[in-house]
Amino acid sequence: MGDALVAILLGLPMTLLVTAASFAIGLVGGVPLLLGLRSRIRFVRLAVRLVIDLIRGVPPIVWLFLLYFGIAIGSFRFNSLVAAIVGLGVISSAYLAEIYRGGFATLPRGQFEAAQALGLGRATTLGRVLAPQALRTALPSMATFLLSLLKDSSIASTIGVTEMVTAATVFARQNTATAGIVPFFLAAAVYFALSIPVAVFARRLDTRLRKAL
Amino acid sequence: MNAPLITSSLELATAGVEISHLSKSFGSHLVLDDISMSVEPGSVTALIGPSGSGKSTLLRCVNLLETPDAGTVTVGSQTITAGQPVKDRDLLALRRQVGMVFQSFNLFPHFSVLRNVAFPQERVLGRSREEAEARALTLLERVGLKEKAHQHPARCSGGQQQRIAIARALALEPSAMLFDEPTSALDPEVGVEVLAVMRELASAGMTMIVVTHEMQFAREVGDHLVVMADGRIIEEGVPAEIMAAPKEERTRRFLSAVLER
Repeated sequence: MGDALVAILLGLPMTLLVTAASFAIGLVGGVPLLLGLRSRIRFVRLAVRLVIDLIRGVPPIVWLFLLYFGIAIGSFRFNSLVAAIVGLGVISSAYLAEIYRGGFATLPRGQFEAAQALGLGRATTLGRVLAPQALRTALPSMATFLLSLLKDSSIASTIGVTEMVTAATVFARQNTATAGIVPFFLAAAVYFALSIPVAVFARRLDTRLRKAL
Repeated sequence: MNAPLITSSLELATAGVEISHLSKSFGSHLVLDDISMSVEPGSVTALIGPSGSGKSTLLRCVNLLETPDAGTVTVGSQTITAGQPVKDRDLLALRRQVGMVFQSFNLFPHFSVLRNVAFPQERVLGRSREEAEARALTLLERVGLKEKAHQHPARCSGGQQQRIAIARALALEPSAMLFDEPTSALDPEVGVEVLAVMRELASAGMTMIVVTHEMQFAREVGDHLVVMADGRIIEEGVPAEIMAAPKEERTRRFLSAVLER
């Protein structure tokens, strides 16, 4: 069992890398999508809405297959790690844009009107008045999304990224006689252990922000 | 409460407000029907009427929170004509001249009280942070809330929040102020604090348009009373005279309804 745990923990850095990198892409990539959703131009709003619905409407595993097996431009192909990070990053962008949008939707209209009446410009109103408040409401949902992304990073195993689930699978195959289902129980335990701090942090944040507003 | 001397630190450059043939519809509903009205520099106009009469919409057309369908709005030397595209620069210039106080205060909850009053000065007037905060402190002192400067608005009562909102608007040195039912969300005894600040501002010579149900305030502080119903001005004149002897039946009904509350 000790050997199994060591083998799985060797996959841990890759799990964390895929999760962190794709979440980071999502945090940044969600912003232009959000701006598109709030655009003054109707066509832009519709186009961005379509893109987001398309991204969210297809299972992540299918996106990864399409990126990894489907894209071959000349001699260029994604390697499995890049395909996983880009794929999950794009998916994260779509979900986080929706979460950001939800944060803005809860803001009272008076906040926007007060900023307008004071003569604040569009960028200042969005960046300094609305966004900080929207972010506060969005943070708990963002943490929840991070949790599901941590678990979804396991689908990178299907295109050959050697993260925890791959490590567990490989170990189980190499030790068919002795390992049985144990490596997967261990993987489950590690995922669970990782998710606890995020969940606790999210709940604390939520309580604190409720008090602050 | 001590009468706060809000205005001694203000350089009032008041402007008149001229509204001419203003119309506005929401969908098929005509909310403002050819409204014309003139507010002298340094005067106080009280705007009253039943809910749905269009008084708030009229007020919101003055700083273009609502876009009128027809007519013109002039504040000082700045004129906006409905139907013509408004340059962002002209829009900001107009809003810069006009301060607005809302029924629901609308302070920024993520800023401290001090930052609420200082931040717009930095962005709109380009003041340095030090200068803006010093000025904010002076204004907060004048509305009796200097000790709240470093708290968040959520820690302040409604009456305190509304006085902070007034300080925030005044900090930008507007030449006219719009008040949209500033005491309607407040308990009467708290509303008095807000009205006291407004009285002082009026006596210092600020041009004010006040949508209100406070008849005593309208009579004592108002130079001019405008009664609206169904998107039209049905009666206007000296507040005490209209209240004593309304010419229109609708005015009489409205006044008796308000006074019986």
